[in-house]
Amino acid sequence: MSIYLPIAELSVNIVLLLSIGGVVGFLSGMFGLGGGFLMTPILIFMGIPTNVAVATSANQIVASSISGTIGYWRQGLVDFKMGGVLLIGSFFGSILGVWIFSRLVVLGQIDTVISILYFALLTSIGLIMLIESSQVIRDRVRRKTVKRKIHYHNWAHKLPFKMKFYKSKLYISAIPPIIIGFVIGILSATMGIGGTFILIPAMIYFLGMPTSKVIGTSLFQIIFVTALVTLLHATTTYAVDAVLAFFLIIASVIGAQLGVLAANKLRGEEIRALLAIIVLGVATKIALDLLVEPNEVFNISVIRALF
Amino acid sequence: MNLKIFLFIKLFVLFFISSTSALVIGSDEEEIYIDANFSGKNLLVFGAFYSDPSQARDNKSDILIEVVGPSEDVVIRKKESFFGFWLNSKSVEFNDVPGFYYLSSTNEITNEFLNENNIGLLNKKDTQLINWSILNIDWGNVKNQKEKNTFYDALIRTKESEDVYRKVNGEIQIIDGNLFRSYIEIPNTVPVGQYKVNLYLIIDNKISNEYSYNFMVTRVGIEEAIYSFSKNYPLIYGLISLLIAILIGLSGAEVFKRFRKV
Repeated sequence: MSIYLPIAELSVNIVLLLSIGGVVGFLSGMFGLGGGFLMTPILIFMGIPTNVAVATSANQIVASSISGTIGYWRQGLVDFKMGGVLLIGSFFGSILGVWIFSRLVVLGQIDTVISILYFALLTSIGLIMLIESSQVIRDRVRRKTVKRKIHYHNWAHKLPFKMKFYKSKLYISAIPPIIIGFVIGILSATMGIGGTFILIPAMIYFLGMPTSKVIGTSLFQIIFVTALVTLLHATTTYAVDAVLAFFLIIASVIGAQLGVLAANKLRGEEIRALLAIIVLGVATKIALDLLVEPNEVFNISVIRALF
Repeated sequence: MNLKIFLFIKLFVLFFISSTSALVIGSDEEEIYIDANFSGKNLLVFGAFYSDPSQARDNKSDILIEVVGPSEDVVIRKKESFFGFWLNSKSVEFNDVPGFYYLSSTNEITNEFLNENNIGLLNKKDTQLINWSILNIDWGNVKNQKEKNTFYDALIRTKESEDVYRKVNGEIQIIDGNLFRSYIEIPNTVPVGQYKVNLYLIIDNKISNEYSYNFMVTRVGIEEAIYSFSKNYPLIYGLISLLIAILIGLSGAEVFKRFRKV
């Protein structure tokens, strides 16, 4: 059974669509990741145009980050003030990102740029996850526990415009979170990702935020970044496919909840290593598409249809 | 059967007026509706023709059917290798290119004939269907003629691979020597808009009669409504998309909370 996607302008199998949404949602629930970094390339592999994949992925992340945030908010693990400061940067970043995106569409380079960005992103995520999980597995075998520094000072504490973030027990300059937000905004708009895996380490290492507050706060700010990105894409690139988003959202919200349940019962490292391999596989496929000489070197796109 | 008789009556009335040859058409449909489940359809073109045997030397009659879809502007981009990466480099913009083109004949029609009669075709090669002189082309940084030709060919090739450009012969059925019938495949990738059907009766390599009519291809259904809404009211469309995401996100969290309590 297939369904016609009105904006992507193609028919896809519903079962396939729901499975993709479900699996990506499951993985994101399990590992606390947004899942956009897998969703967008998989949609592109399915034949969905790059701009539709990016814009619709952003729409889908709105839903998954809302349901994620609520869980963390109930436990008091969201620093709304920090989220707000990050959002100031993200606001401008996503406007710039959508502008860059639509310029690249006009220049015909969007597919290439997205591929290169995704290759870089997925390769680094995959390698980091693989190294991390293999270390954890090794440490477990040796019965070692990893000790982490709880709080430390760095350059983020020396800049002007210092603000108090009571929830995170921080007194730091507003500039680093704004810059981080700005970068996330650009990435979100151009790649259709929430940016959790960049945001989380940046918040821990650059801002020195407590690990417990990081996931909830990042999810909270992702809601608004991806919501803004969705609106910007809907009004400038017209690439948000509501039908595609609907099925992905339904499946990913259910998948994410199951993923959270599974995370409590399963040992994470082996699955994390498996995910790392999947991520690296997707990266390899993207690289091959860029490096192998295509059968048809010409491609056509309609820039204006007369009705 | 009634239609057949009607066609014949029309044909002979016409024939007695012109008294050499006649071509009439029983047009099938004026509008084709494409919905989400549309998987292409066959457009029926049929009619009747008659030529005076005493006028024609070998009495060789051919029917030529041309279908031209609505115009569009397209850009053809060529990928070239940069340090091992295949990237889009040169591009050519073709304006007012038909979004659909179909040419069918009872027998093989020569390129000379098509050029002479200016049917909108230039068949230098079999793949080249369009009279390029009618197009408005922005060549960009493509300068030499040989390279330009590769872009011409690429346009035709990509359009053919989407099944929107076709050139066939021998697909027109002749019944009783005077009736013709042809099914023209309209794939679901066709653009919406007005289509023009041109019919030619060719006797002894000359066009003796021609006839044209239009039909519309329209998209219908919920998917079309969503598509046009997204173009006409992008902000409201974006907000609705967001609202759906927010509602499902909220209810997902709510359902899960209850589920966990149980």
